[in-house]
Amino acid sequence: MKQQAFATQSITESIVAFAQFVRSHGLNVGIQETQDALLAAETGLLPNRDQMRCALKALFCNTPEERLVFEKLFVLFWDTNPTDLDGRKNQTKIEGRVEQKANPSLVMMGFGETEANVEEAKNVTGANATERLKQTDLSKLSEMELEFLETIAAKLFKEMALRLRRRLKNSPNKGVIHLRSTIRRNLSKGGEPIELMRRSQKPSKQRLIVLLDISGSMDKYSFLLLRFVCTLRDYFRQLEAFVFSTHLVRVSKALKLTRIDDALALISEHAQHWSSGTKIGECLEQFSVKYGKQLLNGSPTIIILSDGLDTGAPGLVQEQLMYMRKRSKRIIWLNPLKGMQGYAPEARGMKEAMPHLDTFSSAHSLQSLLELEKILANA
Amino acid sequence: MQSLQNPSELIAFLDDHKYVADEELVTALFLLLKLNKPLLLEGPPGVGKTEIALVLAQWLDTPLIRLQCYEGLDVNAAVYEWNYQKQLLGIRLQEGSGLSLHEKEHHIFSDEYLLKRPLLQAITQPFQSPVLLIDELDRSDEEFEAFLLELLSAFQISIPEIGTIKAIYKPYVVLTSNRTRELSDALKRRCLYHWVDYPDLQKEMNIVQKRLPDIEKELLQQVVHAVQTFRKRKLVKIPGISETIDWAQALMTLGFRSLDSEALERTLGSILKSVEDIKQIKEEGVEALV
Repeated sequence: MKQQAFATQSITESIVAFAQFVRSHGLNVGIQETQDALLAAETGLLPNRDQMRCALKALFCNTPEERLVFEKLFVLFWDTNPTDLDGRKNQTKIEGRVEQKANPSLVMMGFGETEANVEEAKNVTGANATERLKQTDLSKLSEMELEFLETIAAKLFKEMALRLRRRLKNSPNKGVIHLRSTIRRNLSKGGEPIELMRRSQKPSKQRLIVLLDISGSMDKYSFLLLRFVCTLRDYFRQLEAFVFSTHLVRVSKALKLTRIDDALALISEHAQHWSSGTKIGECLEQFSVKYGKQLLNGSPTIIILSDGLDTGAPGLVQEQLMYMRKRSKRIIWLNPLKGMQGYAPEARGMKEAMPHLDTFSSAHSLQSLLELEKILANA
Repeated sequence: MQSLQNPSELIAFLDDHKYVADEELVTALFLLLKLNKPLLLEGPPGVGKTEIALVLAQWLDTPLIRLQCYEGLDVNAAVYEWNYQKQLLGIRLQEGSGLSLHEKEHHIFSDEYLLKRPLLQAITQPFQSPVLLIDELDRSDEEFEAFLLELLSAFQISIPEIGTIKAIYKPYVVLTSNRTRELSDALKRRCLYHWVDYPDLQKEMNIVQKRLPDIEKELLQQVVHAVQTFRKRKLVKIPGISETIDWAQALMTLGFRSLDSEALERTLGSILKSVEDIKQIKEEGVEALV
């Protein structure tokens, strides 16, 4: 692929090469767009550099963010001089890609450095291995068991999503009379409306916003919770997901990938703050300021997965939750620590949050996650 | 329109029609006309997205057909609907007329009984290409968006009882969105894209001046400067350009010649549309703005 305009022979080739160039940097540019770009050049825009730039921008970009990237790419492609390139050939990357981690799920779960407390896990009694695993606290699992648990989880989550979808089927005998289909149906009966057709309200799917804590203290739980979130995407009309520790990162795009493992790999690539401290209040604020207008409308359901161990400024968690509550249908807080015996929400962040939550539930084991089905079915 | 050679010619025209446009927008409009691709305009509320379609229709001297989207908008409300009540009457009247079943059916599914909704209107214009404005598309459901795909690429609509109707004159399509949700990639790929942002100080002054030619310079400067300051604050609802114009007009109507604390007190409601915002700005006082 040609990286700069000077390397090409004709203007047509340049434009095609430019389309390939921006595509390689993540812009969604296909053959249709390239063709349109050539047509645009033909309409007489070519002699004017600024107009041509604007035209290509209108054709190639789809979001304000892409428009920013485009400006850089444009200069890079058309203005790079061969003499500038000595010594830094092919270093035209705009966004440095993070090295692919070997096994995203295991890195995310904090294995490699910390060893799981296998002893404690074995102490749990149960009828069989599956049942036992379902109830074991996720932080107490060994690497081996974890792989097994993942297989069970994938299966159970899938079943859960299916149940949730089925529950939405509506009964045919309710609702207002639908004139259109009534006439259609009764044409065969001479136009007399003998059979009445009805149309009942199609239950609208809810939107779901998930905020997932990936700080050090949540390491062991984050991954399975994320897989849980992935399962939910079929059921909800729109699923927006964010991960946070000291910063907030939007990962909704990654969740759209069909294979869950791809999605998880992409997310771990995005989030550079795995396993650092937690500033819940600040992150919630970032969320409301940056995405509030866009996402907090039409009363979505919000799920926050965090242990509530906040190291940020006091009072902020409370303030932000109040704001979010006004604009959402319900806020569900899942805290893995709740599964521990004798746990009480004493941590400052958690204490502040408690009065503003609709549901406060544990999420320490597979079983507790599956129990969420009941809560979400009414969401 | 045929004579249009260069985007710059559009700037002058838009300027005559009180619309201040930059080169990027004008180029996008130019491509909309030349390539006949739909134009998707995104941006915060009140920055003149809808206005572009209005001005474009004026310039082309062609009808503007507008479809306002909302949650639950369905094909019946957007494309076409049979006039059921009239059809029922029609069936009754035909009783004993001796027509064959086929003729009867043909009759009650004829043009006479068809209610054309905006999208069908847009592709059945007999004389020239209209401007079709699909406003606030982000409010509609995903299902409707998917339906639009067919229309925007082929400019045709299928009605089972009649057949496929293909546009003789393809409409110029302008779509707007406030980005309350992300539109699908498939739709975006069929469109040209332009992001309309809040204008800078100079541009906003130009716009207000264009709309309110009688405004005094001092007031103009103060108002626009104040609005620019508002936009940098953390407000619940950030004012758009239309609010700026409303505010300036309100001040002029009440006879204020400059922005003082009394003027602010009495007219703040025309620029800020939330109790918290008004309270916050009032507390800060007029000094913080001028």
